[in-house]
Amino acid sequence: MIFSLTIGRYPLPLSVIAKIMWFRLWGLVGQFPDTYEVVVWDIRFPRALLGVFVGASLAVSGTAFQGLFRNPLVSSGTLGVSAGAGFGASLAIVLFNNTALIYIFAFAFGVLSVVLSYLIGRFYSATPTITLVLGGIIVSSVFSALVSLVKYAADPYEQLPAIVFWLMGSLASARYSDLMVAGIPMAIGMAGLFAVRWQINVLSMGDREARSLGINTSVAKGLVLACATMATAGAVCVSGIIGWVGLVIPHIGRMLIGNDNKLLVPVSISLGACFLLLVDMLARTISGSEIPLSILTALLGGPFFVYLLKKTKGGGW
Amino acid sequence: MALLEVKNLFFSYSDQPVLEEVNFKLGKGEIFCLFGPNGCGKSTLLECVLGTLKISRGYVYLNGRDVRNLRPAEAARQMAYVPQLHQKTFPYTVKEIVLMGRAAYTGMFTSPSEEDYAAVEEAMQKIGIQRLSEKPYTQLSGGELQLVMIARALAQKTPVMIMDEPTAHLDFRHELIILETVVQLVRETGLSILMATHFPNHAFFFDNNDIPTTVALMNSRRFAAVGRPEEVLSEQSMQRTFNVEARMVSYYREGKKEFRQIVAVRTNGLR
Repeated sequence: MIFSLTIGRYPLPLSVIAKIMWFRLWGLVGQFPDTYEVVVWDIRFPRALLGVFVGASLAVSGTAFQGLFRNPLVSSGTLGVSAGAGFGASLAIVLFNNTALIYIFAFAFGVLSVVLSYLIGRFYSATPTITLVLGGIIVSSVFSALVSLVKYAADPYEQLPAIVFWLMGSLASARYSDLMVAGIPMAIGMAGLFAVRWQINVLSMGDREARSLGINTSVAKGLVLACATMATAGAVCVSGIIGWVGLVIPHIGRMLIGNDNKLLVPVSISLGACFLLLVDMLARTISGSEIPLSILTALLGGPFFVYLLKKTKGGGW
Repeated sequence: MALLEVKNLFFSYSDQPVLEEVNFKLGKGEIFCLFGPNGCGKSTLLECVLGTLKISRGYVYLNGRDVRNLRPAEAARQMAYVPQLHQKTFPYTVKEIVLMGRAAYTGMFTSPSEEDYAAVEEAMQKIGIQRLSEKPYTQLSGGELQLVMIARALAQKTPVMIMDEPTAHLDFRHELIILETVVQLVRETGLSILMATHFPNHAFFFDNNDIPTTVALMNSRRFAAVGRPEEVLSEQSMQRTFNVEARMVSYYREGKKEFRQIVAVRTNGLR
């Protein structure tokens, strides 16, 4: 993370960074050029922090959803959080073009889509887990269609590019204020998932067995669902849609340390954080203009995943 | 007092009756076998007892308490469940699976303690599966998996264990291994077992091994007969319930008591 602070358009040596951070933390007035201080403290540091939070949130909620739905193919976006948030953001871009409202709309629609998926899942009570995923797919596709509708109606010179870039994900807008606002749901969600991490193991045995093992399944599932949704919606509303992290980081964790969520949850948190930090660092350095994150997460994560698959022989699947 | 008592139980899926007027008791160190054709409601009855299905009428008492008033964790400290077919998901290790038997003793926001790990070791040792401890349970054979499920139920340290056709899909030898394990557990720990089974000879096996065994012959939603294996699983009842001609055979092993088994000869009537 510290390393990420040195890299960028203004390459700075580690020693300068350390001094700037030190002076800032103690409220001292340093003798550095203003540009240095702004670059490190106001641009790179919040961005790195945000990357850590977003990566960790997406990865850990992906892990939780995979366990909860007993399905290794689901990701943090399965219940429609990403699609809902994408629609909320696009709508806000077209209607208001105000950053705060984009966050609020994205968060609200992200949460709304999970609530909708949940309600659809409840229609059919015999196998609630499967219908919940089905509900998520339905809600996701409806919101994707709505995003297309908004794109179609958007002004092609100003609003459309904004929507497209938002949908591809970026941490470029990171400021401390964003971190304060979106960090709260992310932190609560992650803390909640960390607390119930072992119970996710038991929930992955299926409703009937989990209940006979002594878990109050409706309460525990609701809790996991709420925490994972908060973490994902918090992440998506500031960073846009970053694919791949919520699906593959959990699997990389599974290959490295196994499937016990007691270990896997903290490992996903740190892997997700490191991965997104690294990807974001590349995003802002390899070319003159920023590369959207989703492109890089897939381009980097894909080959790495295949490499791990080969090396660990899939870990017992 | 009976550990488990089912009183005048009725159950229906929407308006289709599945179980009617079911009554039985299970005491300490006893085995109660539910026996009957496919679709007669054995698994449904087990789910009613477990509380995963809501009964329409009647009562299920566990240690004198109505199961509907028990929280899942309280119920899970009284009765453990061995599923018929466990759907495998993630390749957890055997140890991690058995540890899940301790969920009832673990708070919502905590992880298992040293004591829980000790209980897991003990359960695996009793079933004899320590050598599988670190193996991904998705790579086990059907028989090994069933032993793991029994070990998980044993780690729950309950007085009652509920088994749904524990030998389904197992080979000749593993079927016997499971039955012997059950006999050993009942003998050594005084466990009480409620078991659904497709094989009349399971009941005879327990009876032959001097375990107090009761059989309920289920047919079309109710108990057609309840009693000792040789009374309930007679040649006549096989004919009536399954339209199968069967012979009761008996033999003396090691010059000791009489061992009984029932052998199917041929089906009668329309198929």
